[in-house]
Amino acid sequence: MYCVKCGVRLQDGVPACPLCATPVWDPDGAAAEANYPDNLPLRYQETNLPALFFVTILCVLSIAVEMMICKLVYGEVRWSGFVAGGVALLYVIAVLPLWFRRPRAEIFVPLDHVAAAGLVLYICLKTGGRWFLSFAFPLFGISCLFSTALICLLKYVRRGRLFIFGGFFLLLGASTMLVEFFQHISFDTPMFRWSLFPVAGLGAIGLLLLVAGVIRPLRQALERRFFF
Amino acid sequence: MQKKWYRLDTAALIFPAVARRNWSNAFRVSAALRDEVDPALLQQAADELRPRFPSFFVTLRRGFFWHYLEESRERVTVRPDYAYPLTFMSRRELRKNCLRVLYYKNRIAVEFFHSLTDGRGGSVFLATLTARYLELRYGLSVPPGDLVRDLSQSPPPEELEDSFLRHAAESAAGRAEPRSYRLRGRREPDGFRHLTTGVVETDALLSAARSLGVSVTAFLSAVMAESILAMQAQEKPRRKQRPVKITVPVDLRRLYGSRTLRNFALVLNLGVDPRYGDYTLEELARVICHQLCALATPQNMAGMIAANVRPQQNTLLRLAPVFVKDFVMDLVYRHSGECGGCLNISNLGVLVLPEVMRPYIARMDFIIGPQRSYPHNCSVLSCGDKTYVNMIRSIRESELERRFFSRLVELGLAVDIESNRR
Repeated sequence: MYCVKCGVRLQDGVPACPLCATPVWDPDGAAAEANYPDNLPLRYQETNLPALFFVTILCVLSIAVEMMICKLVYGEVRWSGFVAGGVALLYVIAVLPLWFRRPRAEIFVPLDHVAAAGLVLYICLKTGGRWFLSFAFPLFGISCLFSTALICLLKYVRRGRLFIFGGFFLLLGASTMLVEFFQHISFDTPMFRWSLFPVAGLGAIGLLLLVAGVIRPLRQALERRFFF
Repeated sequence: MQKKWYRLDTAALIFPAVARRNWSNAFRVSAALRDEVDPALLQQAADELRPRFPSFFVTLRRGFFWHYLEESRERVTVRPDYAYPLTFMSRRELRKNCLRVLYYKNRIAVEFFHSLTDGRGGSVFLATLTARYLELRYGLSVPPGDLVRDLSQSPPPEELEDSFLRHAAESAAGRAEPRSYRLRGRREPDGFRHLTTGVVETDALLSAARSLGVSVTAFLSAVMAESILAMQAQEKPRRKQRPVKITVPVDLRRLYGSRTLRNFALVLNLGVDPRYGDYTLEELARVICHQLCALATPQNMAGMIAANVRPQQNTLLRLAPVFVKDFVMDLVYRHSGECGGCLNISNLGVLVLPEVMRPYIARMDFIIGPQRSYPHNCSVLSCGDKTYVNMIRSIRESELERRFFSRLVELGLAVDIESNRR
């Protein structure tokens, strides 16, 4: 049995040429015997448990030591609360996912936002600020919503990447106006002083990506240039 | 009892340094028998090879200054094959054993981490393993020789030596190579390796090569270069094109008469620069053949060996901790290692099995894994009256294979194609 396009001889019973994917029509042919079995190897991921234990203990010890020092010097928790919060946040972002064999970004990204919002809330309360609910909370909400949505779309929707990114950039640009609005009601700053620039820049990128998504040759040229 | 350990040979030093979380440099040799493989007997045969091939049953360890190989206490367990050859060898696996013995239906395959040995050493190991398996299975008596080693003897020291150190010239050759054209494509997200095997009559292939007045390696390299040139021409205007070079490993045992079973090969980048004009297949074959003849001389190779041996002997570099060496070697590999060629064509040549084994062996294959940065590789082995050209790729597109094998058909060769389709 030969491939009509490539001219090479194929194994009996193969459904298509392995070189050019031209379908093979062979009414009498039995299914070809596979050269390799079906079992795929388990995807291996290095986990270094001793190192993780070491880093965890180091983090706990550093928090305990600096809080103790602060308590001894000032008799109360002052700056050490911020440092402890910072260390805990770093741990949640950088180390916590490494404990899992297959960390899921759609779970850890919202978790990181919650941890960061928690630290910011602590700073707000400690410094007597009244900006958390009116500024930081919406900011973290928008960031969490957008990044989680982007991750989920990229993970579960196989096609239309350019539309996803295009839409993301457009929304990101529009959200900067919201951020400025929250800044305005929290800190009484004038409206629309800076947000128009990112709106224009990110909007232009978003539109370009959407146009590239629609025009096939442009899309193919971009794919060839920027694939990874 | 104290475990034996071995320094990595000069060529092997680079492989642990450049290994990544999803890529390790490995190759496979396999033998297809006439009957289905008995895993229990294969396990027994593999166990019996341990005293004769001590440098193969080792683990990769990290010292303070260098990586090294240490005798493995863990048994090499014979396992069923996977859906594709050369699945990733993780650090954890290499800390247990640096080779795998696999079976599928009638095929025995051995996969080696490249720090252990090269294609020649691997084929000796596989031939001896297969011979022992056949002895156990059918009661044959295979006479030892160049390919099948005597299991009753202990390994001579020259089999375990780092032959690079003995053959380095006083002056080192330069490493500078212009960057070659890089083949690209959409990588398989799960690391799947597509293998396409072209089976050609050895005599016909030899005649086709002789008609152009070149060797089989030069002929296949020329056809491959022609295919890559055509792909590049479709992609870029001439002034933006890059040299198209094929990386051809040279077995130094033939040049220096070494008997080592560890790495003793160096690579040459052979090809043309398309910016200066178009080349016909005849011209390509002639250019590559002349380059091969001019560069694969003992003197030139000694200079290239010296370029690899020199840094090892530099006191400052020797005193650097292993992670610094890994970093430096990774940089060197990135800038002057892989970038010089578009892909490898590794021709193991003709494997002449002992007469008594031939009725039991249907075919043999040699497969090298894709490189870190370029997605294709090609390996060639002749056994019996057939030559097996194995092309492996880590991307979805099969354009290069299509062009290469179709061109062989156009040149009058009958090519049978097999693949590990998904």
